[in-house]
Amino acid sequence: MFRVPIRERSDWEDRAVEFGFKFHSMYGERYWDESAYYQFTLQQIEEDIEEPTEEIHQMCLAVVETVINNDQLLRRFRIPEAQWNFIRNSWLNGDPSLYSRIDFAYNGSGHAKLYENNADTPTSAYETGFWQWLWLKDNVDAGILPLHADQFNSLQEKLVNRFKDLQVLTPERALHFSCCKDSEEDRGTVQYLEDCASAAGINTYFVYTEDIGRDIEGNFSDMDDRVISWMFKLYPWEFMFEEEFGHLLGTNNIRWIEPPWKSILSNKAILPVLWKMFPHHPNLLPAYFEDELHMATDCTSLVKKPLFSREGANISIIQNHSEVASSPGPYGSEGYIYQATHMLPQFGENHTLVGSWLVNDEAAGISIREDSSPITQDMSRYLPHIIL
Amino acid sequence: MKRTQHIDLDLMRKVANGKSSLLRPLALGLTVVTFSSCSNNTKEEAIVAGSPAECVAKTSMIYAECEAAYKQAEKEAERTGPKYQNKYECESEFGNGHCSQSQISGYFMPMMTGFLVGNMLSSDHSRKNSMYNPVYRYKHPYSEKEDEIMTADGTTIGSPGQRSYYVQKSALQPKPTVSKTIPRGRFKAGSLNAKPAGATQTVSRGGFGSTASSKSSWGFGRFGGWGG
Repeated sequence: MFRVPIRERSDWEDRAVEFGFKFHSMYGERYWDESAYYQFTLQQIEEDIEEPTEEIHQMCLAVVETVINNDQLLRRFRIPEAQWNFIRNSWLNGDPSLYSRIDFAYNGSGHAKLYENNADTPTSAYETGFWQWLWLKDNVDAGILPLHADQFNSLQEKLVNRFKDLQVLTPERALHFSCCKDSEEDRGTVQYLEDCASAAGINTYFVYTEDIGRDIEGNFSDMDDRVISWMFKLYPWEFMFEEEFGHLLGTNNIRWIEPPWKSILSNKAILPVLWKMFPHHPNLLPAYFEDELHMATDCTSLVKKPLFSREGANISIIQNHSEVASSPGPYGSEGYIYQATHMLPQFGENHTLVGSWLVNDEAAGISIREDSSPITQDMSRYLPHIIL
Repeated sequence: MKRTQHIDLDLMRKVANGKSSLLRPLALGLTVVTFSSCSNNTKEEAIVAGSPAECVAKTSMIYAECEAAYKQAEKEAERTGPKYQNKYECESEFGNGHCSQSQISGYFMPMMTGFLVGNMLSSDHSRKNSMYNPVYRYKHPYSEKEDEIMTADGTTIGSPGQRSYYVQKSALQPKPTVSKTIPRGRFKAGSLNAKPAGATQTVSRGGFGSTASSKSSWGFGRFGGWGG
């Protein structure tokens, strides 16, 4: 695994306009960064990333099965009791999942270590499934990268195929896509997934999360008053559970993507449960609930993560009981878990995170994020990768 | 190979690339001509021909032209017409015996009632670039559109049997490609200004999204979004 500088495509910004990639820069800073790429060997990809990704996913499903049947754990996950049946039913019904992204610390050798599972609202799907693919194609076509340069990336193809399966499993329904207003990134991600669903032959609509309505019977509706019967939401389950319409969840006939049981996987509380169920698994880091810290005697340094944190918010690194680094954010009132510190590898000044994608239960590609801080956040740069 | 071998870039393109954007000034020019020659009246007279023979009878076109127009409309019907997963769904909107399975897409589609001919009294020369769109007779029982003639996107143009129709210019222009199927009873959703079928009465909105806006005050999620 190397970080290799490369000349940017001279027309990359025109290409971004042409293919509708609007959030390559945010807050006036570059988010998409093609001034370098990461190079992997096939063995690194297949043995160190692909196989563990699918294995961890299966382990996570085993955790869901355990948590679903354990009231005490559901409380530890801070899942409101009013939603337990909704979540349980979605699991018992086998409500199908679309995708997830597992984040790893990996430096090219040894075991990739699981940081977290973005199982509910993963983003950067467009950059991964299409945009970095196009970057490689353009560079190969221009003779800058060799013809046999490859990429671990079948995300788009697998998403379209998965949508075809989902249509068979969800017949006679149109699919509403939704995300919050005021985020170009979320809107772009949802548009991409909507395009994938359309390519699979699904009838789609869009409604902003804030615009979702309800009728007298408790059905959800879009801005044209269409009843919503199948919905993709890029909005965390744990928020929806607590909001005004939350009490209607499970009372109306809607199929959800991701399904409600994913709220267990996207919760950081999954990390201590995984460690308990699969102790010393090579891809896991020791992890503990707050009241189990006496078991963490081997760890001189711990990372404190809020149960619901996203995009690296409110994470702190604790050494010998004092905080040495932290990131700001709005989470934490729901409680924390502690994970043994395993710093991201550094390539020059950059701290690098590998995101490994799953479509249903199959590994589907990777995305690379870089940050100048050891805690990657939502403004971490996205870099392409190749296999050579 | 660990990556997808081929992605159709034409399907991914959101904006015409350098080459095809050359067409844009030409299209703009045509718009100007349209407005100046029609002033406020954007409607145009057109006839519905059920066959090449009827086309010959109602227009100044010769048989070969009418036959070509008919074939073009059939082609447009395949491209832009409503598509259904099964025959029942199609027939519930277009009547028994009025749907067939496309040999190309495999979907069930209504058979066209006829095709639209605009400028029917004009000379050959100005008809060179004419479009001949298919029209359908809508048969969904108790629908306010029942027995109306519609274009492929669900816009009604009037009841059947009229000598001629005054249609929006758009009725004579190419319709968007339809590549996905329509859920049962939804075709009329495409008609202008109509509420979708099965629309409900929304009593309140805004029951989701409040956590996002409260956490946004931290500066999070505003641009970065709520994904992870």
